[in-house]
Amino acid sequence: MIRLENVSLAFGDKVILDNTSLSIKKGEIAIILGPSGAGKSSILKIMVGLWQPDAGRVLINNKDISKLSELEMLPLRRKMGIVFQGNALFDSLTVKENVAYFLREHGGIKESLVNEKVSEVLSFVNLEGTEKICIDELSGGMKKRVAIARALSFDPDIIFYDEPTTGLDPINSKSILDLIKRASSRGATSVVVTHILNDAIYIGDTLSVINEGAVVETGTVYEMLRSENKFVKDFFYEVFQDAALLQNKIL
Amino acid sequence: MASSFITFKKKILALQEYSLMLKDLFLSIKSINKCKRDAINEMYLVGSQAFLLVLLGGAFVGIILALETGYQLDLFGAKTLVGRTVSLGMVRELGPTITGLLLAARTGAKNASELGAMQISEQIDALRAFGTNPVLKLVMPRTIAAMVMFLPLTAIADMSGILSGMVVTKLSLHVDTSFFWNSAISALLIKDIFVGFTKPILFAFFIATISCFYGFNTRGGTSALGKNTINAVVVSSLTVLVLDFILTKIVWELL
Ligand SMILES: Nc1ncnc2c1ncn2[C@@H]1O[C@H](COP(=O)(O)OP(=O)(O)OP(=O)(O)O)[C@@H](O)[C@H]1O
Ligand SMILES: [Mg+2]
Repeated sequence: MIRLENVSLAFGDKVILDNTSLSIKKGEIAIILGPSGAGKSSILKIMVGLWQPDAGRVLINNKDISKLSELEMLPLRRKMGIVFQGNALFDSLTVKENVAYFLREHGGIKESLVNEKVSEVLSFVNLEGTEKICIDELSGGMKKRVAIARALSFDPDIIFYDEPTTGLDPINSKSILDLIKRASSRGATSVVVTHILNDAIYIGDTLSVINEGAVVETGTVYEMLRSENKFVKDFFYEVFQDAALLQNKIL
Repeated sequence: MASSFITFKKKILALQEYSLMLKDLFLSIKSINKCKRDAINEMYLVGSQAFLLVLLGGAFVGIILALETGYQLDLFGAKTLVGRTVSLGMVRELGPTITGLLLAARTGAKNASELGAMQISEQIDALRAFGTNPVLKLVMPRTIAAMVMFLPLTAIADMSGILSGMVVTKLSLHVDTSFFWNSAISALLIKDIFVGFTKPILFAFFIATISCFYGFNTRGGTSALGKNTINAVVVSSLTVLVLDFILTKIVWELL
């Protein structure tokens, strides 16, 4: 469904992605896991066609998008929902105007249908009745939900989440993760970028560990835990440590 | 040496990107209908925020012009020419320039900081991800609004300058107001009015596009936002002065 082939990207002398490849299957929740500055957001921006790679191919449904113009990208944009790292909600608009943005921009859809869709996705993210609230008045967790609702509003085939739980408390984190699971069970493919190992293990079908602009290893949680790769071992060390800590506390 | 070369290269690259943005802007003229509402909204903002500023700016420039030229002309017994000097000076040069400089600061800072904040918070990426052309959505309405609103604002600056010049001339040089007014109006030729109102349209275009360009190219955090806003104001103000010189030169050569 999504495949990166030997993708490279640099800003000036700074190499961001270094000849890296990755593939994501239809319907799964794929996690891109890596430390801060590893190039996670960059890889995501390349997958959704916001940035073009310097070299390599980006295939979405077997179509290479790496050199498409904005206009040629448009049909694909209708299939991809994005939840940005900082939410990227339009702060001059209300919750409803944000969620309805895509529908109004492209749909030519009747206002009554827009209303219907907006209240459906808002209730899906447990934010019924918040239509008229301004973005500035929302809490961090609520903003994240609105961002998810906006990404879901046009029933995309693929949903991309950039660090969806960063900065949220454990309760809000958990409910966002459950939301991602529920959204995925409606049939969409999900790509989740995160640096939080527990979240990755909790929702991920497959995990790709990325470091310094390249994918180090891809596999299921089980495979990752048994990996021999030094970086993957270091990254997953935390899990064993937490388990040991808990065991000590209990015993 | 090497570092100044790199800065130079960066400047050239920025100029290239700016031209690409202008190209994008011209290409999106065909979809101009889409941003009618945003443009009207921006016009209201530009107009309401700048009205008082331009009124006061124009008034003080008019007063200074009247006083300075008045005292000099009085030495030659020609204080009756003050009206003429003030009106020509205001309409041809100072009205457009003062309006341009004030709006480079006011509107330029507004554009650069608004778009910069949108860039930092990934709202511009979000627009693109939703298939909206950010140049059409954000730059076009601001450019149209500036180009439309600069005309009445310049007229306000001109009028305010001439009228306050008239009052000051009456008070300090005892030139009769109706005499001042008549000489002020009769001095103005179509040519002067044409020049005086072509300038603001061009100033507006460059102020709006330059400040939006700086906003778009804000990368990094809030410190970049501050720096880019300052640069936007500095570069658009300088552009106003340079353009003013070029246009004045052209006009003197041609007309
Ligand atoms: N527009 C840009 N220009 C130059 N360098 C950039 C740009 N965007 C990102 N970078 C650099 O690319 C590297 C990877 O950035 P990226 O945002 O992809 O990392 P990340 O893994 O998402 O990190 P984080 O967890 O902090 O979000 C960083 O070193 C960053 O400084
Ligand atoms: Mg990131």
